[in-house]
Amino acid sequence: MDLGAMWDFLTDPASWQGPSGLGTQLVQQLLLTVTALAVAAGVGLPIALLAGHHGRGGWLAINLSNLGRAVPTFALLALLARFSWPGSAEFGPYGRAGLATLLALVFFALPPIIAQAYVAVREVPEDLRDAARGLGHSEWQVFRAVEWPLALPLVVSGLRLALVQVWATATIAALVGGPGLGNIIRLGFADLDRRSQALAGALLVAVVALVLESAGALVQRAVTPPHAGGGSPRRNGRRMRLGSAQSRAPREEPA
Amino acid sequence: MTLLAAVSQAGVHASVVAPLPGRDTPCYAKSINDWICGDYLRDRRDELVEATTSHVQITVTAVLLGLALAVPLALLVRRLPRLEGVVLGGSTALYTVPSLALFPLLVPLTGLTTTTVVIGLALYCLTILVRALLDGLRAVPDDVRDAARGLGFGSARLLLRVELPLALPVVLTGLRVATVSTVALTTVGTVVSEGGLGRLIADGKNTQFNAELLTASVLCVLLALLLDALLVLVQRLSTPWARRARTS
Amino acid sequence: MTPKIHRSLALGAAAALTALTLAACGSDDSGDGGDTAPAADAVPLTLATQSFPEATLVGALYEVLLEANGYDVEVKAVESRDAYFGELSSGDVDVVPEYLAAVGDFLNTQANGEGAEPVTSSDPAATEAAVVPLAQDAGVTLLDLSDASSQNAFFVTAETAESESLTALSDLEGQSIVLAASPDCDGRADCEGGLSDVYGIDITEILPLGFASPETYAAVQDGEAQLGLTGTIDPNLEDEGLVLLEDDRGIQPAQNYVPAVNSDFLAEHEDLAGPLDELMAALDNDTINELLARITIDREQATDVAEDYLTEQGLI
Repeated sequence: MDLGAMWDFLTDPASWQGPSGLGTQLVQQLLLTVTALAVAAGVGLPIALLAGHHGRGGWLAINLSNLGRAVPTFALLALLARFSWPGSAEFGPYGRAGLATLLALVFFALPPIIAQAYVAVREVPEDLRDAARGLGHSEWQVFRAVEWPLALPLVVSGLRLALVQVWATATIAALVGGPGLGNIIRLGFADLDRRSQALAGALLVAVVALVLESAGALVQRAVTPPHAGGGSPRRNGRRMRLGSAQSRAPREEPA
Repeated sequence: MTLLAAVSQAGVHASVVAPLPGRDTPCYAKSINDWICGDYLRDRRDELVEATTSHVQITVTAVLLGLALAVPLALLVRRLPRLEGVVLGGSTALYTVPSLALFPLLVPLTGLTTTTVVIGLALYCLTILVRALLDGLRAVPDDVRDAARGLGFGSARLLLRVELPLALPVVLTGLRVATVSTVALTTVGTVVSEGGLGRLIADGKNTQFNAELLTASVLCVLLALLLDALLVLVQRLSTPWARRARTS
Repeated sequence: MTPKIHRSLALGAAAALTALTLAACGSDDSGDGGDTAPAADAVPLTLATQSFPEATLVGALYEVLLEANGYDVEVKAVESRDAYFGELSSGDVDVVPEYLAAVGDFLNTQANGEGAEPVTSSDPAATEAAVVPLAQDAGVTLLDLSDASSQNAFFVTAETAESESLTALSDLEGQSIVLAASPDCDGRADCEGGLSDVYGIDITEILPLGFASPETYAAVQDGEAQLGLTGTIDPNLEDEGLVLLEDDRGIQPAQNYVPAVNSDFLAEHEDLAGPLDELMAALDNDTINELLARITIDREQATDVAEDYLTEQGLI
């Protein structure tokens, strides 16, 4: 493993230029990741939050998302790339087969986002919802005032996980002639002359993944209310349970 | 010249291959190229069975290996909570190495064998499984633990008889996610020649072999669903108290 | 049912799953689809091939031939030479059907670093003379060359060839052209480099769509590119309405088929050379084209086609 050659390649501006350069592939992959996440969130969150609010359709939401997870992204990419989509030749800055890759990634991102968002809303204690309704809030106001703020940390946690997973999975697109850094990795391992390039590409993917993970962590910290003590609803739940046990205890004592 | 003219008249995208005389053209030949083709399932049965078997082996071995690695790591974090960041961060960092790179990088160590893919997949499982184990163990209520200690349970007995069984639901959920993800990721193993059904998917795509591509993809999905269902069964059987709670 | 029994059931299910895995692991799941069961005293042999259709065919020819000669062949299909060559040197892989110049370039880079002076040329004899010692140093012996050779070749649409009277690459001299090729075509003497330097063709852009891939064909058919990269052996061309242009100035290095065998393995099994030499002598480009058409177009199994041919030729 020639790390010196890898470093030289990374620091050489020429490696970053051109249609097959690191720069183009990085941008393609980032664009695809962010767009796929946005679309998946735009489609998945309303469904999951609505289902979670009403407490119905959960079984369907969870099991559909399990089904979605069961479809290998590689297979989906291969199937989608098999067809000539409109503009598959050049989907703008997304690159060749960009549309096929985008669809496959959206499909990949939906299950964790939906599952997590549904659970997030369900974890909100029912008595808080009831209290809000009792105060005369409409369903939408209940959601906005009670459920959304409490569910947000877990929803963001799901989005954050999906972000990193989509970014890492997007490298596979190269196996079906798609865009992204997977190309330079695949090419590099196929040709001894370019092995250092493959390592450089892999390192870049890993570094950006860590950057995205850290960015996600910052966002999550920003939306987690300070008094939640870490923001894990499970811990909150336990505290709630203990709290209600304590509040039950005095009633059980002989009056 | 005549041949060129004839070919160009047929239209560039049309297939001009006529079936060989005296031989039934199967529905998977290039001239027909059906997506769903009984002939394909019949003629390539051995290949499909071999690919599916290999796929199952790789997936199951990888998940079990991942679990075997995750348990000591989770226990370590429990004993030394300060290591949580390192362990979780490390396993997540592993996750960020793209599979396209990790598998070829392991080849010099373990060769062109299923072992290479299994190790790579197990490493990817770690992040899910360690987290699931930690969350599961944390979900065990403190009062249960105290009660057990009060009854004289030592640490090992506490772990085996009380904590792990109670952590089972969460751990099994994590195991389900890990297994389904691994079935999918095994396909990428084709870059080092051991991708189970992934090899057929890649070949189907590269040679525009529709029946092969669709069949291998569908088999992958079915496999994932089957393994998931098996784990749900294990989950139901091993946590009867949860079932009672569900029906209440 | 008491919790104890439930737990036993769960453990039982888990144990069954594990047992299934181990049992399956224990069974022989070698990749060959051959119908013939190996003889009890068959010598185990590992064969590695690349996974594109032509390589799979040649691999099948080797496999069927060697199985008939008393070997128990396990086939590994890989994406790239880098993945298997180390194994060939170390002996984990025993035999590889190779291409002379390709393995030569690989050995050269391995021995002399990235960007080393090339030792291969379009002259088979000279190339062989240069590559055989490099192989020996890596613990690999190259057997006799075949006349069958598979080089890079470039195609245009049949219509274009006819309307512009193109038969050879030199007919394109001075023109500005978009090329659809494999991603590593840039700068290579047998690809973009040769087209620019030797033929004086102005390659304005290389679309990295792959070697003889459906995308490459489509790009040329749709007019997105004027020239596409494939191999001299490609049965799909006629089907797709494409024709090859002749390499009249010889930029393609000698890519003759040649068996690459681990030297130690060959020393222990000297009878390996005979059948392989016979096979190499029998093969030529027309034959390979015919056999390959049966695989890529009729979608017959490679081992079936190999067995038919070898039986017909009296080689098994």
